[in-house]
Amino acid sequence: MRRLNPSLIAGGVIVAVIVAMALVSFVWTPYDATLVTPSSRLLKPSWSHWFGTDKFGRDVFSQIMVGSRTTLFVGVVAVGVAAVIGVPLGILAAMVRRWPGEAIMRANDLLLAFPALLLAIMFGAVFGASTLTAMIAIGIASVPSFARVIRSGALQVMRSEYVLAARAAGRQPFPIAVRHVLPNVTSLITVQASVSFAIAVLAEAALSFLGYGTPPPTPSWGRMLQESQEFLFSAPRLAIFPGLAIAIAVLGFNLLGDGLRDRFDPKLEDRR
Amino acid sequence: MKSSIYTRAVAVLASAALLAVSACSAGSSTSSGSSPGGDQNLSIGLVAEPASLDFTTTDGAAIPQALLGNVYETLVKQDDSGKIVPSLAKSWTVSPDRKTYTFDLVDNAKFTNDSQFTADDAVFSINRVKTAWTTSLKAAMDVVTQAKALSPTQLQVTLARPSNDWLFRMTTRVGAMFSQRGDAALATSPLGTGPFKFSKWNRGDSIVMVRNDSYWGSKPFFQQITLKYFKDATALNNALLTGTINVISTVQAPEALSQFTSNDKYQVIEGTTNGEVLLSFNNSLPLFKDIRTRQAIRMAIDHKALLDTCWAGRGKLIGSMVPPTDPWYEDLTGVAPYDLAKAKSLLQASGAAGKTLRLRLPTLPYATSCGQVVKSQLEQAGLKVRIDQLEFPAAWLTTVFKNADYDLSIIAHVEPRDLGAVFGNPKYYTRYDDPTLQGYLAAADSGDEAAQVDNLKKAARRLSEQAAGDWLFLLPNLMVADKDIKGLPTNAITENFDLSKLAR
Amino acid sequence: MILRLIERTGVFLVSLAVSSVLVFAFMAVLPGDPARVALGVNASDEAVAELRRQFGLDRPLPTQYFDWLGGLLHGDLGTSYVSKAAIGPQVFDRLQVTLWLVVAGMVIALAIAVPAGTLMAARHRKVSGLALSAVSQVGVAVPAFLAGILLIVVFAVKLGWLPANGWTPPAQDPAMFLQQLILPALALGLVQGAVLTRYVRSAVLDVLREDYLRTARAKGLRPFQALWKHGLRNAAVPVVTVLGLQLATLLIGAVVVERVFVIPGLGSLLLDGVSNRDLLLVQDVVMVLVLAVLLVNFLVDVLYVALDPRLRTA
Repeated sequence: MRRLNPSLIAGGVIVAVIVAMALVSFVWTPYDATLVTPSSRLLKPSWSHWFGTDKFGRDVFSQIMVGSRTTLFVGVVAVGVAAVIGVPLGILAAMVRRWPGEAIMRANDLLLAFPALLLAIMFGAVFGASTLTAMIAIGIASVPSFARVIRSGALQVMRSEYVLAARAAGRQPFPIAVRHVLPNVTSLITVQASVSFAIAVLAEAALSFLGYGTPPPTPSWGRMLQESQEFLFSAPRLAIFPGLAIAIAVLGFNLLGDGLRDRFDPKLEDRR
Repeated sequence: MKSSIYTRAVAVLASAALLAVSACSAGSSTSSGSSPGGDQNLSIGLVAEPASLDFTTTDGAAIPQALLGNVYETLVKQDDSGKIVPSLAKSWTVSPDRKTYTFDLVDNAKFTNDSQFTADDAVFSINRVKTAWTTSLKAAMDVVTQAKALSPTQLQVTLARPSNDWLFRMTTRVGAMFSQRGDAALATSPLGTGPFKFSKWNRGDSIVMVRNDSYWGSKPFFQQITLKYFKDATALNNALLTGTINVISTVQAPEALSQFTSNDKYQVIEGTTNGEVLLSFNNSLPLFKDIRTRQAIRMAIDHKALLDTCWAGRGKLIGSMVPPTDPWYEDLTGVAPYDLAKAKSLLQASGAAGKTLRLRLPTLPYATSCGQVVKSQLEQAGLKVRIDQLEFPAAWLTTVFKNADYDLSIIAHVEPRDLGAVFGNPKYYTRYDDPTLQGYLAAADSGDEAAQVDNLKKAARRLSEQAAGDWLFLLPNLMVADKDIKGLPTNAITENFDLSKLAR
Repeated sequence: MILRLIERTGVFLVSLAVSSVLVFAFMAVLPGDPARVALGVNASDEAVAELRRQFGLDRPLPTQYFDWLGGLLHGDLGTSYVSKAAIGPQVFDRLQVTLWLVVAGMVIALAIAVPAGTLMAARHRKVSGLALSAVSQVGVAVPAFLAGILLIVVFAVKLGWLPANGWTPPAQDPAMFLQQLILPALALGLVQGAVLTRYVRSAVLDVLREDYLRTARAKGLRPFQALWKHGLRNAAVPVVTVLGLQLATLLIGAVVVERVFVIPGLGSLLLDGVSNRDLLLVQDVVMVLVLAVLLVNFLVDVLYVALDPRLRTA
């Protein structure tokens, strides 16, 4: 059927490009992204500087490349935190008896009342603003969506024949969780990971804009956007490049998530 | 079933409408009243909103900027060239031993609560500095031994020793005259004798002042002035462009100035301030004990390139802690010129090459911007620099200012004549302890005018030669306003923003 | 149904209580002595101790918590450490401002999402549907503040049609209020609209495939009538649920938009409070935000029960 749908392809390509850019940036960038070179300030895009330079004379293309590292780091940590907490939580909530399971989900919903930005600002005030604290905060704020999705998936698995058989045979819950539930919710995890990744990227951009994100001079797309504000009149390209980078990255992860969801969701196989 | 849903929907909508009607005054506590453009109204855009309206207990330049000279007045004030001229005191004499000042006060000044301003209020205000103020600036009144009211319009102040500085400090916030009868809610409703009356404070948005129609001096042109506070430099620029304000009091995004200079509707003012942007060295660290390291850091920085890169080339290069508007200013930029090779060799000689320094920056635009240039330039000379950002004011004040937990930092010192405060006190965050300098400062304060100028010149030179810190540049007074606004100062040399001279 | 309502109310109240403990505990951990920040760095230790006593910061934590909670229940939000002004009126006023912004944004979002999502679902395999889908994907990817900046550059600075920033209360100057509301509400609403569109599309698609629609068509109803009479109410259920979830996002999106458009709302009050270490203010504002989100979710739960007849007899 339509296993390789356009969303999956488009999303996959975009994400692959970003990952490739980040990896390559460790080894090579056209210029040093943090070297201040007053003599080459505010140059327009040209063959020597593909995206031009910023007010410190730093090559914008190199900054975008190194910035992709921050973006991916952001996403990985946030999604990692969210998954490491959210997946076991969701499985647990699905496997325990009615009342405690509901209680866990209620506590989970409580976390929804603390939006990502709020947590990140508060964490930043306590622990000092840095990429890491911001990402952990965003990760914690993403736990509820993971937990919910995993729980409903786990509930479905629990009702399947082999799990019922295993329980009837007296198997312990933990091995059941690991052997049967976990593998079957992997697809759900992947989809949710893509979506949460996109949200994390947006959140980091907003935080950097407010001044609670990655401190200088480490390149960060969100901070580049904030720094470009001064030049909206004289050099709007300085806002366009990081803005586009953010939008394309988010788009890529969303498309990937959509594509994976379409691929894994059996209901859609016979869409008419 | 259907009808009950529709009924419910209508009920919900009706209650929403009711809520909306009651919310029609939303934001009224933060709105700025009538919009600018009315001939008698003026709206000025500023950054850095005051945390409270009481500068006797709260530090920061924002409060006196708004209130001093406009709501509160002092006995004496500075004119545009920096000379001390009469204000609430119409004249004064100094005793031959220079320890006793006798002021003749005006007799027709009134506080806005209708009580007359007398010498008793002056005595009250002066004594209060020592007893009720909690900010560090209160030390300026320590030299006063006694303040006495000889008559309702005659005030006598006796000092412990002659002090040139004291009269100057009386033009700053320390010399503000308060009413004996109105002490209560200073933090939220100031009360003074000035040309304007405090009207409203819309927290997070603006302070509104109205003309004091019973002011004893010449009345200001504008009936109402609104000071609007912006956190975002671009929003500040946009506000002027779209007519929400008439004046930008300080441009924080100098790169964006080009959109105003090319536009006939606006005037751009560029002058000097008292704001020395200091790259401070934590002089208590062993690393900085060697003068070669300190000099190397100064020489590794190409100040002209730095200014061009991080502040659009606007501002003045200075070689010490003195702005050009002070009488003892000398151009000391030649003391530590840019010389990368020399810097490298000095660092090798002192053994500091390759060491890592923590450059701890407050989250202020010039610091964030110029800090990156400093890092880059110092690394070219062979040092390693790590940038930390500390939230301003809370985190920076605690970590750098109080605990001196830093290696390098950048902050603009905007108080007038602050050389002594910043470098003369070993307990200050610069931790600079130099008996020679302290000697010059003491001699400058107790000597006559010529001695003051001479000693302060020597003090400035000493600081530069000893590389007690590095002065990146002097903040420019960058203002943009509607073309028809008159009376804006070219140089901002006082800690108050004089609104009474503004007109259209 | 009554049982369900009671259950939901109980959950709401417990969540509120637990949140208050979490918020209080978090603020207690925050470093930086508020008394010292309020007085300035050079204040003497005695002055700081005295201010701490005045604000009750020297009492044991549980006592402080219950005092605070008690105050909240009476509507007394206390006095700010930094500005010495009463917090309650400020918060109330700023909350209304943010609400105007959020509601306007939501209205725009719905105005975009419902027609666009339905259209996309009805044409989901045609080119026009795919094109709209692509546009909505891009819309989701743009951060609200970027949208805001772009809107300001185009409509305020370059074209001069609308003010770039600022806020006027509606009662004071309705025309100005509306003008100043348009761009920020658009910034919030366009992005939120893109997100909602996809939910609407998915909900309507699910409904389109259901049997009862085919039955309605078989009974002779034209496609649009069938959709309207039967489909939309069922599609509304998941969309309404999502609205509740999205409110949290919208509230926080408002924080950044408030910064870009210089709107004196709750978001900027919060940021100021954190910056000044105005502990009590931050505590109160966070609590208000949490209350708002929990309340909306509670109302959504109730609405859910009202809308879906199948749940009535549960």
